[in-house]
Amino acid sequence: MQGAAIVRHVVTFGRVLREVGIEVGPGRVEDAVRGLGAVDLTRQDDVYFTLRQTLVSRHDELELFDRAFVAWFLRGPVAPLVRQKQMRRFTDRVARDTLETGTDDADDADPSSTPHELGASGHELLREKDFAEMTPEEFERVRKLMAAIARTRPRRQSRRRTPDTRGDRLDLRRLCRKSLRSGGEPIEQPWKSRKVVPRKLVVLCDISGSMDAYARALLFYLHAIVGSGGGVEAFAFGTRLTRLTPDLATRDPEAALARANEIAVDWGSGTRIGGSLAEFNTTYGRRALSRGAVVVIVSDGWERDDPDLVSREMAKLARAAYAVVWVNPLKGNPEYQPLAGGMRAALPFVDRFLPGHNLRSLEELGAVLAGIERRHAA
Amino acid sequence: MYAGSVRFRTIDELESALREADYLPDRGLATALFLALALEKPVLLEGEAGVGKTEAAKALATSLEARLIRLQCYEGLDVSHAVYEWNYPRQLLHIRAAQEGTVSEEELFGSEFLIRRPLLEAIDSDEPVVLLIDEIDRADEEFEAFLLEVLSDFQITIPELGTIRARRKPAVILTSNRTRELHDALKRRALFHWIGHPSIEREVEIVMLRVPGIPETLAKEAAAFVRGLRSLDLVKPPGVAETIDWAQALAALGREEIDAEVVEQTLGSVLKYREDIETVRDETLVGLIEEARATANR
Repeated sequence: MQGAAIVRHVVTFGRVLREVGIEVGPGRVEDAVRGLGAVDLTRQDDVYFTLRQTLVSRHDELELFDRAFVAWFLRGPVAPLVRQKQMRRFTDRVARDTLETGTDDADDADPSSTPHELGASGHELLREKDFAEMTPEEFERVRKLMAAIARTRPRRQSRRRTPDTRGDRLDLRRLCRKSLRSGGEPIEQPWKSRKVVPRKLVVLCDISGSMDAYARALLFYLHAIVGSGGGVEAFAFGTRLTRLTPDLATRDPEAALARANEIAVDWGSGTRIGGSLAEFNTTYGRRALSRGAVVVIVSDGWERDDPDLVSREMAKLARAAYAVVWVNPLKGNPEYQPLAGGMRAALPFVDRFLPGHNLRSLEELGAVLAGIERRHAA
Repeated sequence: MYAGSVRFRTIDELESALREADYLPDRGLATALFLALALEKPVLLEGEAGVGKTEAAKALATSLEARLIRLQCYEGLDVSHAVYEWNYPRQLLHIRAAQEGTVSEEELFGSEFLIRRPLLEAIDSDEPVVLLIDEIDRADEEFEAFLLEVLSDFQITIPELGTIRARRKPAVILTSNRTRELHDALKRRALFHWIGHPSIEREVEIVMLRVPGIPETLAKEAAAFVRGLRSLDLVKPPGVAETIDWAQALAALGREEIDAEVVEQTLGSVLKYREDIETVRDETLVGLIEEARATANR
């Protein structure tokens, strides 16, 4: 291959990668061309690694890259590459459409009986009303109120210090400078203190059938929290676990929920809490996602499989986490007793056990998260 | 090309130099390090713990006859620990010792009062340097942004002293265990290489190199057994470092082969979590041993 031919090849290959959803900037193409100039072009593995290392920057793009490489350079027989971006847009649209029709149906069935005007007492009633019993209009109003609650986040002290007149440490750099004027006498004493920054927050939300109404409400709440700044990770689970963080950061929570439903829920097969927690602990816990975080689990605790697995995985999770909060909408009923096997198995590892069935209980959750402390017992 | 005294014209040359430094890279890693030198770009090595990310930087420094400067990242790492700090006690003593009004600010903030931390040390070095920025994912995002600046210009500004430029660019290796996603801007600046667990042949080779005198059968069985462990659902699957530790223990016990008894005795050097040790018991253990011995004798 000659110089110009290499450039042409790499530029075109860059375009192929962009089509499958890998972001390739012009700087990277230049690196690839320069890299190919330095290695032996007759060795296929060297060419492969040179292109991969210069054009890809994320582990989860490696598989897409490999398929594109095989198709483009080796002209190998591979399954047609899915254009990820377009595919996403498509599924989003489908999800939104289905949800919208769902809402419309509900409206049609019950057009006039909903009280549209709510007075001050109506507002209060709304705060107490169970999410499962809300009409779409009421839900819409509640959604707006959630944003305010979401601003309270668990916080921790950063190790970084900034100037602060009421700080707890002397700012020695400024002290030296100021002492110059007074012949080494530290007359003025500048202080600094630790900044307070948001603590990592990890939310695992059960979206199986029985949790549907509550999961929706909680996801709106989560969406508002993700919008409140970094350090929030959201997951949904049913029979499987799926990560929602990227969806919640960019798009409509309804669409995110619809997508999560497709991936994580087998209708009618029950919830696998233990299995989902295990998946979380293995895949994300190992990457220290839960270390030092406040972990919130939202579920009614109905476990299909093995309560022992729930308690084992809860133990692992609780060890890594700063604190574990379990939100169970059933707890909103004053007569509720945590008898479900999964719930009983999990409770010994839970720091705070809260309802989450209405707006008031979400306010309570917000307050708990804002002031949560590490439990004292190990 | 990177301004060291040792140069590599081909990937093969670098690969054999790394081997001489007792490090056995696979072709992908050798290519990544070669490109980092050829393009003068930082390289980001990602992978599970224990696959040899840090070791790679050490071996590269040895091969280049360069000085290795390591910056271990942690949450809250800031400029005073990564770049420089003023020696305040000395400054204060100096002001006091001098006659009143005779110490100027320039004097007080001169280089004799400067404590140099790894980044400044790497930028302001006359010898060739390999700069290892270890576990960058542990540092917070503010530090990442600062690092991005340093890695684009290879210069550091100290308000009191001015700007210090690198006379020769250090070779930069960043490692990450992926506890969080790094900023795109930083990733754009670097070459990216994902290190997976080595193939079984390579792992045997690594064990033989690192545990001199180990019987070949034992090395093979140990590598195959660890490979079997990695296919289980463990809290912390063992890395190459654990294979080496374990092989050392087995060799020290004078074993020629593995059996259930010795594995049970020494499993603690491979698996670091109680749950994992409990997972690997009874039939699972026996099954793994049989499989490992079969693989080794193939």
